[in-house]
Amino acid sequence: MVGPSAEKPSFSKALAPYRVVALVGAVYAVAALISPERAGHAALVAAKSFLGVAPIIVAVFAALGLVQVFVDKQALARHLGDRAGLPALLTAAAAGTILVGPVFVIFPLMKTLRDHGTSWAVITTTLTAWAVKLPMLPLEAGFLGWKFAVARTVLTLMTAVAMGAIMGRLMRDSEQTKR
Amino acid sequence: MDPTGIIYLIGVALAYAFFWRRSPGRASKALAGGSKSFTGMLPTFIAVFGLVGLFETFIPPALIERLMGSSSGALSLLVGTALGTVATGPPAGAYPIAATLLKGGAWAPAVAAFIVSWILVGFVSLPMESRVFGVKFAVLRNGISILASMVIGVLMGVVL
Repeated sequence: MVGPSAEKPSFSKALAPYRVVALVGAVYAVAALISPERAGHAALVAAKSFLGVAPIIVAVFAALGLVQVFVDKQALARHLGDRAGLPALLTAAAAGTILVGPVFVIFPLMKTLRDHGTSWAVITTTLTAWAVKLPMLPLEAGFLGWKFAVARTVLTLMTAVAMGAIMGRLMRDSEQTKR
Repeated sequence: MDPTGIIYLIGVALAYAFFWRRSPGRASKALAGGSKSFTGMLPTFIAVFGLVGLFETFIPPALIERLMGSSSGALSLLVGTALGTVATGPPAGAYPIAATLLKGGAWAPAVAAFIVSWILVGFVSLPMESRVFGVKFAVLRNGISILASMVIGVLMGVVL
């Protein structure tokens, strides 16, 4: 759940994402000066592709909301903490896909796990799998086809496990016994 | 209208109905959380789709083909990974751009590398990641993620 610190209302922060929109708008303005028809065509393509996937986008965010509320992050984290070896990494990969939340919630949660002795391998695998976001799959499939979306997701999860193992070595998990 | 979206909407609505019966309070909290993330993401979506329109109208497919086409092989993988590394934004923003690249004649492995590096490599979140986990972890994880993007791209070529 999002803590009170996440709600810091800052005007400039709230408007920050719209800077990108303004930038794209400026590009459109330049494009319209060069060729009004083609700029209009671009806007039409933009609106059409947006409307085409709008239902999926709405559904995906509704699903993300459910996962965020009904998946107990703390319990998931505790579960991750008491495993080791390959099973630990597989669990981490699975857990990561259903972990939903913004960076400023997930990073500190992972840090807490780390402070309680969870290996860097498990942290890395969970973080990598967290980036996969299973509820997003229909959206990716909508744009790129199911075959592409599923293949990419499965490969990314396998890579998450491999990355965990590699990071475990590089960060010397086995040598870090002191706390 | 694309049926996938409608089917998925119905599925999610059923899920909500199920959770609503178990706990109306938490279900409405979920809905509120979902709409909050959606409004937070909306500017990004507007910008990304705006870019997609510009790409499809002004960037000649021949250019995409030359930089990211299958005949360019390793170069197209590098270009895809580099684009994804430099670009930042929520994962959902990567898909429309990836679809445009694919339509323009880009090689599927290069497009996959683009998506993976977009999602896994975060130059913008690097300072925060360093602060939370330490510089060594952050740099190593992002570095390995860049390599992983290319590996996943190559494997995609094998699978598809």
